Amino acid sequence: MATLVGGIGTSHAPTIGVAWDKGQQKEPLWAPLFEGYVPARKWLTDIKPDLLLIVYNDHVNQFFFDAYPTFALGVGAVHAQADEGWGKRPLPDLPGDPDFAWHLARSLVDDEFDPTICQEMTVDHGILSFLPLLTDSNWTIPVVPLAVNVIQHPIPTARRLFRLGAALRRAIESYPKDKRIVVFGTGGLTHQLHGAGFGRHNEAWDNEFMDRLETDPAGLSELSIQEYMERGGTEGVEMIMWLAMRGALGEKVKRVHRNYTAPTTTGYGLLVLET
Amino acid sequence: MDDIIAGSYVFTGERSAKSYHINKMAKTLGSAATRAQFQADEAGYMRAVGCSDEEIELVRRRDWKALMEYGASIYLLLRIGAAVGHALPQIGLHTSGKGV
Repeated sequence: MATLVGGIGTSHAPTIGVAWDKGQQKEPLWAPLFEGYVPARKWLTDIKPDLLLIVYNDHVNQFFFDAYPTFALGVGAVHAQADEGWGKRPLPDLPGDPDFAWHLARSLVDDEFDPTICQEMTVDHGILSFLPLLTDSNWTIPVVPLAVNVIQHPIPTARRLFRLGAALRRAIESYPKDKRIVVFGTGGLTHQLHGAGFGRHNEAWDNEFMDRLETDPAGLSELSIQEYMERGGTEGVEMIMWLAMRGALGEKVKRVHRNYTAPTTTGYGLLVLET
Repeated sequence: MDDIIAGSYVFTGERSAKSYHINKMAKTLGSAATRAQFQADEAGYMRAVGCSDEEIELVRRRDWKALMEYGASIYLLLRIGAAVGHALPQIGLHTSGKGV
């Protein structure tokens, strides 16, 4: 039987990938972010996962508004990298896990979540910006990506994502093969990319969110999308995807590692939890 | 739900519908070949994928603030920005009304 061995909440941003590719890991602006990932990478290495299940959002790279899915699951053997407008980064395509992904599709639909099933799904910085910080970038660990619409409103509620997490756990626990699985929720934290509040982030709310993700995720899941946007920006609403990770882990969690830094326009959080 | 929060636009279905063609044009800029075609003839490229004269003019002026007000998606403005050499800090500041 498969086992859920832990969860990681992390921000994602194109700038992380740019700084990483330029080798700016030791520069004063970026060192607090990159150094924050070192203990998480060690934890992930030591726990020896067979599969990473990543709840993230596409940034209109795979999907367009002709048909924008609320939930979309990548069931292919390979997930190619999207060209986000600046050309592709020097990273190989991500390996998938079709057998688990199709099981997950069946389990989710039985559980009344209905993702669009994608046999081809390119992935963007929503996954590829942070992943090289946490694993070898020859990608020895397969990834199953689950994309959430947090771009075009109406978007799913925080409560729906928290419940999605519980459904992910049921899918993992009903998978007959021995697999050690880590669930990711990625997005945010607070940031505002346009308008009068451009560059605004909310460090106090970011830290409260990470506190309560451990101790009061049900309370966080009751906040409205409007409240998330007022506190964290119209783009910062992405942070609700962390609730899917947290919902998968069950009532009690143990914090392994936490980091927070805000070098540019975005609050960058990192949280590693075990059940 | 408010559709403007702290001066920033919520990308609602109504905005997505209004800005559909400009966003669709930006979505096509996901390869070096299409970016080169766009760079060679911005107006012709935009017209061919269904953009209006108003949309072509907003891009010609690099008027990111007006494009946000028009309804474009910030993620797709960043795609156009990548093709014309304007990055997020410049675009974001312009949409805030503080940039030039």
